[in-house]
Amino acid sequence: MKKDYERLLSLKNIRREYVLAGTTYSILQGIDLEINKGEFISLMGPSGSGKSTLLNIIGCLDTPSSGQYILEGKDVSKMSVSSLAEVRNRHIGFIFQNFNLIPSISVIENVLLPAFYLGDEDRKKAEELLVMVGLKDRINYRPNDLSGGQKQRVAIARALINNPDLLLADEPTGALDSKTGHEIMELILALNRDQKKTILMVTHDLNIAKLSHKIIELSDGKIIK
Amino acid sequence: MKDITFTLKLLKLSIRALLSNPFRTVLTMLGIIIGSLTIIIVVGLGEGAKRDIEQQYSSMSVTTILVNAPSTVEGARSKLNYDDVEELQKIDSLKTVIPQLSGKVQMQAEGKSSNLSVLGTTTAVQKLASLKLISGKFWDDEVDNRSKVAVIGAVVAEELFGSRTADVVGKTIMVGKKEFEIIGLLEYKGGTVGPTTIDDSIFTPYDTAYRYILGVNGRFNINAEAKNVEQIGDAVDQISQTLRRTHNLKVGMNDDFRVRDMGTTVSSAVNSSRTMGILLASVGVIVLIVGGIGIMNIMYVTVTERTKEIGIRKAIGAKESYILLQFIFEAFLMSLIGFFIGTILSFIAFYLLKQFQISAILVWWSYLLSFFVTVGIGLFFGYYPAKKASALNPIDALRYE
Repeated sequence: MKKDYERLLSLKNIRREYVLAGTTYSILQGIDLEINKGEFISLMGPSGSGKSTLLNIIGCLDTPSSGQYILEGKDVSKMSVSSLAEVRNRHIGFIFQNFNLIPSISVIENVLLPAFYLGDEDRKKAEELLVMVGLKDRINYRPNDLSGGQKQRVAIARALINNPDLLLADEPTGALDSKTGHEIMELILALNRDQKKTILMVTHDLNIAKLSHKIIELSDGKIIK
Repeated sequence: MKDITFTLKLLKLSIRALLSNPFRTVLTMLGIIIGSLTIIIVVGLGEGAKRDIEQQYSSMSVTTILVNAPSTVEGARSKLNYDDVEELQKIDSLKTVIPQLSGKVQMQAEGKSSNLSVLGTTTAVQKLASLKLISGKFWDDEVDNRSKVAVIGAVVAEELFGSRTADVVGKTIMVGKKEFEIIGLLEYKGGTVGPTTIDDSIFTPYDTAYRYILGVNGRFNINAEAKNVEQIGDAVDQISQTLRRTHNLKVGMNDDFRVRDMGTTVSSAVNSSRTMGILLASVGVIVLIVGGIGIMNIMYVTVTERTKEIGIRKAIGAKESYILLQFIFEAFLMSLIGFFIGTILSFIAFYLLKQFQISAILVWWSYLLSFFVTVGIGLFFGYYPAKKASALNPIDALRYE
């Protein structure tokens, strides 16, 4: 039987609650979501709607209070802290709004960081990725000597170094001017188009969200569209 | 194998973190450096003191009893004299009683000159201090009590004749302005008899020393030996009673002399040096604990400063154990390097102590002790900040500015 798509992850009735000073806050109220390989999905919604929490759970930085999360056929919702670190390292690439590079080490060392923790540092591959994102001559710079757009390019190269299946982008253009933002979006779109990377992107900007295949809207911890 | 290379890479990471702020690293290590140095030096000083005591008392048995009368006024005559020696010789519980008249005198022989000790006594000193002759003999107390003859110590022979060979016997030596004949040469011994070191002294008959060399300027002591250990207490009491009688001291008057038995003296010297050692060692440990708290303090600051970095590392896949190890390595390296610097400084310190003639002995196990205490404290105080770093929630840590 031929399938025209392959499932990357599925969320079933995911809930996330926080207890703060005796009061329970329900941030996610039963999320069902399926993402196939090669999809490019935007996640939208007002502040406090639970976008970040959902992204954190999908990124294995947070665990759901209840519900099931299957990633690549494995039940991630029941994994140990140490196994989750391994999943993040091998299967997920993060692109943050404020880049999150380590300022005390060079560009190429930042790119190699996930590979360092995997125990498989391939310097040549890191150089190739930096060439691909257009930073061939910035390899040994420090992050603070780069512009915002260049920093985000380093972060993208870092996200790709362990060849993950899923890229999570949290407002990747949020800290950039619109021209640079568009250049970064070009890069992200190319990753989806040419390298078939699955991408989940949180954004406030409808124009940017429209570049993706599908827009999911979140409100008060529920998917409304 | 892969684990080892990975651990080494984490170690490299820690070294880079320490080098990124070298001034702070050195300041943090200061407490550890001083602490490890203190432990090494304290042990060295303790061993030195122990050796000194052993050497000083090596030639005396526990049955030795010393009597002296420290003069209360500078230049005043000692309250003890040769008559007291004769009185004490009558005491049953004493085996030997000898007078000791001692002082420093300029001596000359074969063109060389040196300031050395003279000890005027009787031949009984030979047995009392277990002196052995290389050649020659002691004088005869009956015949030679005013002869200008001398038995010389090994160091005296070396200083004045350049060697300690038998041929010095028969030669002459100028003691002050008087010419003495050398009739005996002693083996090298180390240690003292009463207040006088044996090897750099010449021994002469008591009357000779009094009449020709020292006179009333000499220091007078009485050195006695009890018949056996059981009788030491009795002997000390009897000496006191005899001297009070010969000195005409009335009831209620203080003794004008002092009686010390070596057993008590040695054990109190050993005790006080041990107490001193323990005292100084605890200072070393306290310094190290304070140094350890310094490490912990700075590590907490470091962890807080690097919260964001820790968050990034965890987000991209660093396990808790990797973060823990990275920070423990930092504490470990600081204490290890601190120990090494302390070790280097200890060599300099021992050199300086030697220059100031303070006896300290470099003992290998003090380095081992210092190493384990130092590294132990570094790891102990480094663990909690490292644990805090590794337990940070990556989401909160990433949000930290």
